Amino acid sequence: MNIVIPIKQVPDSNKVKMDPESGTMMREGVEAVVNPLDLYSIQLGVDLKEKYGASITVISMGPPKAAKAIREAISMGCDDGILLSDKKFGGSDTWATSYTIAETIKSLPAYDLVIFGERATDGDTGQVGPCTAAWLDVPLASYVASVDAVTDDSIEVERMVEGGYQKLRLPKPAVLTVVKEIAAPMLPTLSGKKRARRTEIPTYTAESLPFEDANLGLKGSPTRVVKIRTPKVSREGRVVHATDGEGTEGALDELIAYLKEKELV
Amino acid sequence: MSFVWTLAEQDGTSLKGVSFELLARGRTLADKLETKLASVVIGGKLSEEQLQELIHRGADEVYYIKNDALDDFVVETYSRILVKLIEQYDPHTILAAATTTGRTLMPHVSIGADTGLTADCTDLDIDPETGQLLQTRPAIGGNIMATIKTPYKRPQMATVRPKSSRPLEADTTREGKIIEVPFEESFVDGRVEVLGYRHNEDEDVDIQEAEMVISGGRGLKKGDNFEIIRKLATRFDAAIGASRDAVDRGWISYPHQVGLSGKTISPKLYFACGISGSIQQLAGIKTAETIVAVNNDPEANIHKIADFSIVGDLFEVLPRLIEKLDENGKKATGGKS
Amino acid sequence: MKGATMEYNTINKKIVDELIGILGERNVITDHEKLETYSHDETPADVYGHMPDVAVTPTTSEEVAEVVKLANRELIPITPRGAGSGLSGGSIPHLGGISLSVEKMNKIIEIDYSNMVAVAEAGIVTNELNNAVAEKGLLFAGYPMSLQSCYLGGNIAENAGGGKAVKYGVTGRYIIGLELVTPTGDIVELGGKLSKDVTGYDLKQLIVGSEGTLGIVTKATVKLIGLPTAKGNLLCLFNSPQEAIDTVPILMGRGLVPTSIEFMDQSSVQTSCNYLNENLPYEDAGAMLLIELDGTDPEQVENDLETTGDILMDNGATEVYVADNSTTQERVWSVRRNIAEAFKVYSPVQSLEDIVVPYASIPDMIPELERLSKEFDTAIPCYGHAGDGNLHATLVKNPAHSEKYWHEIEPRILRELYRITHKLGGKISGEHGIGIKRKSYMAEIADPKELALMQGIKRAWDPNNIMNPGKIFELAPVGAPEVA
Repeated sequence: MNIVIPIKQVPDSNKVKMDPESGTMMREGVEAVVNPLDLYSIQLGVDLKEKYGASITVISMGPPKAAKAIREAISMGCDDGILLSDKKFGGSDTWATSYTIAETIKSLPAYDLVIFGERATDGDTGQVGPCTAAWLDVPLASYVASVDAVTDDSIEVERMVEGGYQKLRLPKPAVLTVVKEIAAPMLPTLSGKKRARRTEIPTYTAESLPFEDANLGLKGSPTRVVKIRTPKVSREGRVVHATDGEGTEGALDELIAYLKEKELV
Repeated sequence: MSFVWTLAEQDGTSLKGVSFELLARGRTLADKLETKLASVVIGGKLSEEQLQELIHRGADEVYYIKNDALDDFVVETYSRILVKLIEQYDPHTILAAATTTGRTLMPHVSIGADTGLTADCTDLDIDPETGQLLQTRPAIGGNIMATIKTPYKRPQMATVRPKSSRPLEADTTREGKIIEVPFEESFVDGRVEVLGYRHNEDEDVDIQEAEMVISGGRGLKKGDNFEIIRKLATRFDAAIGASRDAVDRGWISYPHQVGLSGKTISPKLYFACGISGSIQQLAGIKTAETIVAVNNDPEANIHKIADFSIVGDLFEVLPRLIEKLDENGKKATGGKS
Repeated sequence: MKGATMEYNTINKKIVDELIGILGERNVITDHEKLETYSHDETPADVYGHMPDVAVTPTTSEEVAEVVKLANRELIPITPRGAGSGLSGGSIPHLGGISLSVEKMNKIIEIDYSNMVAVAEAGIVTNELNNAVAEKGLLFAGYPMSLQSCYLGGNIAENAGGGKAVKYGVTGRYIIGLELVTPTGDIVELGGKLSKDVTGYDLKQLIVGSEGTLGIVTKATVKLIGLPTAKGNLLCLFNSPQEAIDTVPILMGRGLVPTSIEFMDQSSVQTSCNYLNENLPYEDAGAMLLIELDGTDPEQVENDLETTGDILMDNGATEVYVADNSTTQERVWSVRRNIAEAFKVYSPVQSLEDIVVPYASIPDMIPELERLSKEFDTAIPCYGHAGDGNLHATLVKNPAHSEKYWHEIEPRILRELYRITHKLGGKISGEHGIGIKRKSYMAEIADPKELALMQGIKRAWDPNNIMNPGKIFELAPVGAPEVA
């Protein structure tokens, strides 16, 4: 089985500090890491590889340093990687990103499964996976929480939807986007790390494949960011102390009055 | 002028509430554009009356396509139908809900219809100069608000965060057209087979649809202590949320997780118990209407973001809160009878 | 309360007025509620806490000197205080009197890049000092990094260690100059911006670790080093503590100097991993080492991680995991950091110990702890800084035991623990200090001749025994023989 896992490198949101004045994120000097939700797609790939045998190719689009994210995935058990890096890819929205990824997947000799993390924690759109399935014109299962059976030509999954799970059978090849329940990511082992360090990761540019230039980067993106503002998040709410019995009574009376005023009780 | 569309969602036999929230959004946009608002309904066994409610709550037209083959959501089939309708009617704008359905279907459609899509918007407006849709969404964990346009392609499409707007009051005097779209076999993709649906036994899990969410974090110290949260949730008739720490420690299942790597929610009341308020958590609750917090660490971040917060031990504060609410409730009903 | 060895005078209105005269009203605290803050540190307040009669927050060295002169003249105990994050009761005014907090002396005086030193007041939050020097690509490495809130003055008084001491050593290594207010109220400068200085006794190093008994540090000149910009971790699983500890000299012998080598015994690992729902194969591990390497060249750090990992795999590790980015580093360190929290779920009453042994003796310590644990039916997880032999064996009260029984067995277990430590060539505190928490054990275990030398120094510096009296050891009244 051939598995493709597209991943994204994102700023580590855990390491980001809050500006005490504005209550907003300070991103300077923040380390880039594998999108936390991609660790689940990587681990699912590795789990399937262990169970059924597979070769896993990781794809990432980004600046040259995104190769580090690919190496991290390889150290967790993936086999090889492709870095999509070119100024022409810059400014891609989900439409152009998915086009670029889909074309790259099509160029591979064969693929049975494409597994995405549900979304990336920076852009937070969750659109690239479903868009890629549309470009490839292969069946899609989004929000996949478990893989129940894999045969030579099909895969059975459960999708996590509002209030429950939808069970689907998809013919292969198929695209999955997965949620946290799907797998428990392992730490890279020393031997995995050593292998990853020595794996050559080819860089594809806009010239490497017969991409339609008009579909790439900012030029190929139907959406445009026209304005960015930083909302003040601090609500400057009321803080009361309930450090002893008396304090608790007072605090709760105040809270109940507040909730009543807001018609929440 | 081409129309503004909303995509209604149904659960087999009824329309989901988010369908009406979308109409409230769409109505404002359609009025600004001086055009009509239409709602598209795919699948489900819906009565004339149910479809009329879409009109009562803001739609001028309803396109309804039904067939047994459409009862379950299958993205390829739904996408094919929507793309075909877009080709036929050329709408100006399409709004769908940022639910698992909307966030699966609309990206698929954006490729089929060759247009842009903005995810999980919390604010929508019309640019008075160009008449283009201004789609505003929180990004980077809610730390910036980005306004996005789709300048050259049509339709302009956005998914809208559930609970980020309120439905309009039903106006039973409103009139509109219900147009049945004929079903064609060719709509059905057929590659994917729906094997069934498993209801989550946990009833308090639908945190995105809930008006109120009571949430527990690391301060609960162990999984068993979620019992306190459950009691409080019962008292408020609320869904149960959890921080990433609580989910990672295996105290409660992932569908409850609120935050950057869980769900982003906009309830009327978010009640955070023993949650420190990491960036991870805050990303999920910034658009909540009211935030209440209980945390014993006076330095915890959550006190800065909450509208009302109590610095105190949740194991003392919460049981006492339930008692007091019960006392209050008794007094209130006692007074009436 | 009267000291056993000394008659002290109590604070009266006249003395408060005089303090106000020196410091101004806002720097003299007598309000009971506000004084509470000054009555405890991180040790259990119900056991060790004690209220001061007055707390003062001077803003200059001269003010500190005036207050000390007053205390010395009036025979009032004075207890210096930093951030109150100590773990041995060193800053607790256990005889009442004056609590002198350096909280308002928190300025960085200069960062002298040419000499690679910084000069700061004692009340600077060490973390803030490090943020400031980091902007110039520098690091004050004598910082335990355990608490975000601790002060430079407190680090000096306790000679703080922490997890990175394997490579960087403890606070004292970086202290090259001090300004000190002596117990008689003189302001003296010790050392300076000098890398070498054998001009007489090294008094500044005597002050380092003296727990505020020989004076109040008001300023310090600290040595800076280049800020490491790359780091990586290895989490290593072993079948037994012996196999884990045996690798430490092998690593050091190969010229590898990790920033930290943290040891976790089986019960620590299992409790923490279970609490964190960690899916590492921890159930079979008899012990774990968490090793950190840092440097300024990422490539070099990666090479070192690989070499270190290979040595460990060749010498008994059953698996080595690599964490070289913030996500995975957070994950491996959380196993170590959550040990205490995980045990708190089981039982919130604990006694955090700080023994230090020659690190090759760590494996000998483990079976002894297991024996004690069995004998007293009390969990004693053991974790800590294997690279320097400093172990945080922690007594965790058995929830089935009564409060009374716990208070009965705790000193018995500790006494036994310290006896074993002593037998293995160790000492009872590596980085937390003696304070009041371990004072009685100090008297039992320390060599009487060594103790007498310490007491002699104390007498010479503080003839009236007003400077943090009754910490580390008791002092007999003048003329009487010392009680060891």
